[in-house]
Amino acid sequence: MSQLEIGPILRALLRNKVGALLIALQMAVTMTIIVNAVFIITERAALMQRESGLDEDNTFYLTSTGFGANFESRRVISEDLDLIRNTPGVVDAVQINAIPISGGGWSMSLTTEPGDDVEDVGTANYLVDDHALTTLNANLIAGEPFTASEVRWRARNQPDWPDTAIITRALANSLFPDTPWQETVGKTIYIGDDEPVIIKGIIEKLQAPWIGWENLEHAMLSPERMDTVSARYLIRTEPGDLNTMMATLEATLSDRYPDRIIRDVTTLTDTRERSYRHHSAMIKILSLVMVLLVVITAMGIVGLASFNVNRRRKQIGTRRALGASKAAIIRYFLLENWLISTAGIALGVILTVGLNMALIEWFSVRPLDWYYLPAGIIVFWIIGQLAALGPALKAAKVPPAVATRTI
Amino acid sequence: MLLMKNVQKSFRTELVETHALRDFNLQVKDGDFVSVTGPSGSGKTTFLNIAGLLETYTSGQYFLDGQDVSALTDRQRSRLRNEKIGFIFQSFNLIPDLNLYDNVDVPLRYRGFGTAERHQRITQSLERVGLANRMKHLPSQLSGGQQQRVAIARALAGEPRFLLADEPTGNLDSQMAQSVMALLKEINRQGTTIVMVTHDPELASQTARTVIVKDGRICSSDLPDPIPAVSNQ
Repeated sequence: MSQLEIGPILRALLRNKVGALLIALQMAVTMTIIVNAVFIITERAALMQRESGLDEDNTFYLTSTGFGANFESRRVISEDLDLIRNTPGVVDAVQINAIPISGGGWSMSLTTEPGDDVEDVGTANYLVDDHALTTLNANLIAGEPFTASEVRWRARNQPDWPDTAIITRALANSLFPDTPWQETVGKTIYIGDDEPVIIKGIIEKLQAPWIGWENLEHAMLSPERMDTVSARYLIRTEPGDLNTMMATLEATLSDRYPDRIIRDVTTLTDTRERSYRHHSAMIKILSLVMVLLVVITAMGIVGLASFNVNRRRKQIGTRRALGASKAAIIRYFLLENWLISTAGIALGVILTVGLNMALIEWFSVRPLDWYYLPAGIIVFWIIGQLAALGPALKAAKVPPAVATRTI
Repeated sequence: MLLMKNVQKSFRTELVETHALRDFNLQVKDGDFVSVTGPSGSGKTTFLNIAGLLETYTSGQYFLDGQDVSALTDRQRSRLRNEKIGFIFQSFNLIPDLNLYDNVDVPLRYRGFGTAERHQRITQSLERVGLANRMKHLPSQLSGGQQQRVAIARALAGEPRFLLADEPTGNLDSQMAQSVMALLKEINRQGTTIVMVTHDPELASQTARTVIVKDGRICSSDLPDPIPAVSNQ
């Protein structure tokens, strides 16, 4: 322990504090930004990993828009769905009013009692038929699926809702927090304040269209097809047949009726990429900032340590003459760097927590998980030591005979 | 104490080979006070560096306190320097950012002494050079003579077998030089062997023995000792 010159190094640093102080401050700021950035990146990456519930790799959608006074939307939609479902390579398909995680859709408020002064729960509404569960890859965990006979046609601007609905488990838990979700089947909920709907089934998972919504896991399926000239079909294909089916069905549907166009043929993968684009852009920008900051800080440490080695060549030679081994010289410079780093890291811990508190206040981010701080401390100790290692090795090469040179 | 036999030191560049020391034979016994003098470029400093294990030699034999140093590793040479040799440099070579106490402490830490023993040795050696009351001062707060006294205290603190002094009064005025010289003589009287490199004949004349080096060879040595035969052990 006596060879660890902590006291003399600290006293020497206090006499020449400007360079060390600047590096410690740089380290503190870098740690503050990087720890919070890593936390934000991890949070964003976790958001991006959330599953929509769909078989995204094998699902796409397209829009059929008819025109002309004689366009029979109900007939076209029914025949289109028959054609799509009977195409080899297609698992199943539905007409749907909104696409999960796409950013656009319908939402309603649900209550467990009628009335406008009852606390409500928001949900996304998907209007689908009896082929919804297979197409949406939805696992029915309680109750019954829709039957073909209960699917109705919904006219434009029709305000009322079907008598039954299938909801997600998360929505069931939110509506009936004190009741096991299995027991919510058969219960009546109210949509639009006072219109009763009976829960017919519970599905394990299906996300809403809005990835930033707090009720992302709340979804409700209603058994109805929309009588509209512009119908969107969600199509699930066999694994590996997605691209073929996209091309085939776009051409087939276009050819089938000359008085309509097929547009917006899009995969769920592209939809996810587009919806999470600002998250991935944020991750890329923060990662770049992190790399730049670490490089700049490491270069600062290398610069200061190299400057100290060059400035102290005579001193290093003298230490060697007085009995310092090469290892002792390396240890001296690494210890000096460690002390500077530790001062910077100590300040960095305070600033990191401060910045996190500010982010909580300004942007409602989550409080930093406790383990980010010890991880940050260890990582920055390692960065500091690695950056100082080169100059320390260079110092160890200073020959002891330098001590007797007059210049 | 110190025995060099046919020591050679040469530096080779692409075009020429320079002989800094050739057939250098010297024996220094325990308790000697030897001055090594000669003109600039004669090889005095090369001798001092080799004697102090600060650099290696090309051929020959060198025994320090009976130990053949030719095969030692860098770590072993560092250890031997620390334990057996005290250095006094022309420019004092004190560490400017450390106070006198910490400066004297430097070689003691490399020795691995505990805190209490280091404190005792530092205090005693600074008392010995008359600077115990200024141990918290920085070198820059002292005169040149006082700085050299601190360097001597640093050299003595480890109780080495011999001191190697490189122009110890070279940066001092005559009054301070005499004061430092008087201190060295006192240290020698107390039993420490001293080898002092100097170009000053006046200083050299004050030592018990003077060795004159010219062109890398000893050309004159008063009170010469016959060099015993040695063998590698």
